[in-house]
Amino acid sequence: MSDYTVAKTLDCKGLACPMPIVRLSQEIAKIKVGEVIEMFTTDPGSLADVPSWAKSTGNAVLENKQESGVIHFFVKRQK
Amino acid sequence: MEAATQEALKKLFESKLNKAMRLYLDTCAHCGLCVEACHVYQAMPETKYTPVGRAEVVRKLFKRYFKMQGKIAPWLGEVIELDDKSVNMAYEAAFSCTGCRRCVTVCPFGIDTQQVMNIAKLLLIGAEKQPQILAMLSDMSIAKGETWKETANDYIAALNNLAPEVEALAPTPPGRPAIPIDVENANVLYVGLSGKHSIVPAAAILNAASENWTISHFEAVNFAAWLGDGEKQRLIAKRIIMEAERLKVKEVAVVECGTATRVLKFMTGSHPFRIVSIVELIARYIEQGRIKVKPGTISGTLTYHDPCQLGRNGGVMEEPRYIIGKLTDKFVELTPNKEANWCCGGGGGLISLGEHEFRMKTGKVKVDQMRASKADTICTACENCHTQLTELNEHYGLGMKVESLTNLVAHALTGFGA
Ligand code: SF4
Ligand code: SF4
Repeated sequence: MSDYTVAKTLDCKGLACPMPIVRLSQEIAKIKVGEVIEMFTTDPGSLADVPSWAKSTGNAVLENKQESGVIHFFVKRQK
Repeated sequence: MEAATQEALKKLFESKLNKAMRLYLDTCAHCGLCVEACHVYQAMPETKYTPVGRAEVVRKLFKRYFKMQGKIAPWLGEVIELDDKSVNMAYEAAFSCTGCRRCVTVCPFGIDTQQVMNIAKLLLIGAEKQPQILAMLSDMSIAKGETWKETANDYIAALNNLAPEVEALAPTPPGRPAIPIDVENANVLYVGLSGKHSIVPAAAILNAASENWTISHFEAVNFAAWLGDGEKQRLIAKRIIMEAERLKVKEVAVVECGTATRVLKFMTGSHPFRIVSIVELIARYIEQGRIKVKPGTISGTLTYHDPCQLGRNGGVMEEPRYIIGKLTDKFVELTPNKEANWCCGGGGGLISLGEHEFRMKTGKVKVDQMRASKADTICTACENCHTQLTELNEHYGLGMKVESLTNLVAHALTGFGA
C-alpha cells in the first residue's frame, strides 16, 4: 500500500478548526485530476472529516494511516 | 439577473418576513446610535460598514418589493432593485458583519442586524453567490452525518491514541477508557471539534470529575449558521441531537465554540436532556467540589475575552469569571466587557473564509482593549476567537499569551488520588 506518486504534500498538524479541510480543498485544486495529495494532521476528527469531505466533493480517499499521533492521508483528485 | 431568479429571490425574501423581521425593517429611525457600536465601522469608518448601512441594503429591497410605495412608485427613491448589483451589495454587507450583535444592545428598537443579514445571506444562496468555503464545510458536516459509521473505527483508534496525553493531565477513572465513546445512559455527551486540542483538556476535566461521560462522533461547529442556510444548519445540529437521543444522555456539553453552543442551546427546540457550554459544566464541577484546581499555574496577569455568541448572545458571562477566580488572583477585565464586550473580529465565518487582512484591520478595537489591559495572558472560550486573538497578537506584536479557558483549567487540575 501507499505506493502512490504524490503530487503535493500538505502539513496540517495542529491547525485550528476548520483549517485542515480548508487547506485540503485549496491545495487539491492546484493538482491535476487523477493526481494524489498527501496530508498530515493531528486531528482525530479528520478521520471522519476527510472521507465525508471527499464524498461531498467527489474526490477519493485512497488510504489513511496513523503513526505516533500523526494521521496520514492520501487523497486523489477526481473532479 | 434573469426574471426567474429575481422571482425566486423575492420568494426567499418573503419566507423570512415574520412579525419580528417586518418590525426590524419598518421601524429603523435612522438615529445612528448603532453606528459607533460596530467594531468594523470603528476600524473602517464607512457608511456601508455601519449596522444601519448594512441593514439598508435589505431594507431598500424590502421597500421596493413588499411595501406599497415601492411597488407603485419606486422612482420616489429609498429603494433598490433585485439585481446583480444589489446581490453584490448584500454580500459585502453580510460578510463584513460578524453577527456579534453588539449593535442590538444600543438600538432603541432592538433591531437585530444579524437577523437582517440572514435575509441578505439567503438571497446570496438563492443567487448562488454564497461563500463556497462555508457551503463546502456545511456539506462535509452533513455528509458526515451519513457516513460516520464507516469511519468510526479509525476515529476511535485515534481517540485511544490520545490516552497518554489525557492521563498526563488527570488519571482515568478505573475501568473506563480515557476517552469513552458510544456510552449509553451517560450523564454527559461532550461534543468537541476535530482537533485534539478540543478533546484532550476536556477529557481530563471530565475524568477528574469522575464523570460518566461519552464523546460525540461529530464536531460541534455549525458552518451553516454562518452561511445563513437554515435547513443545513438544522441538519448539522440534528446529528448531535440524534446522537444524544440514541445514547439517552442527561446532558450535552459543547466545546469552546460560541456559535455551536448558541445553535445547539437555543435553536434546536426542547429535548429530554440539557445543553450547556463546557464552561458552565466546569464551573459546576468546581462549585460542587468535583474537581479541584490549584491557583498559581498562570504566570503574570490574566484577562478574558467574552466570545460574543457565548457571552452577549448566550448569557455565559459569570461562569468563566468564577473559574478564573479559582485559577488566579491576578485577573484584569477588558474594558468594556460582558454584554458590552467588543467583538474580536473573527466571527461570522470570517476565520473559515480566510479574510486575514480584513480581520486584522477590524480587530483593531480589540487590540486596543488587549493593550490597555496590560495583561500577560488573554484567555477565551471559543475556538474562533482564540484563532483571531492569536493572529491579532502576532500581527500587532502584542507579546501576550493566548489561551483557552478549558486548557488553563486542565493544566491546573489537582487533588487526585490519596
Ligand atoms: S452584528 Fe456586530 S458586526 Fe454586525 S453590524 Fe452589528 S455590531 Fe457590526
Ligand atoms: S440604532 Fe436602531 S433605529 Fe437607530 S439607526 Fe441603528 S438600527 Fe436604526
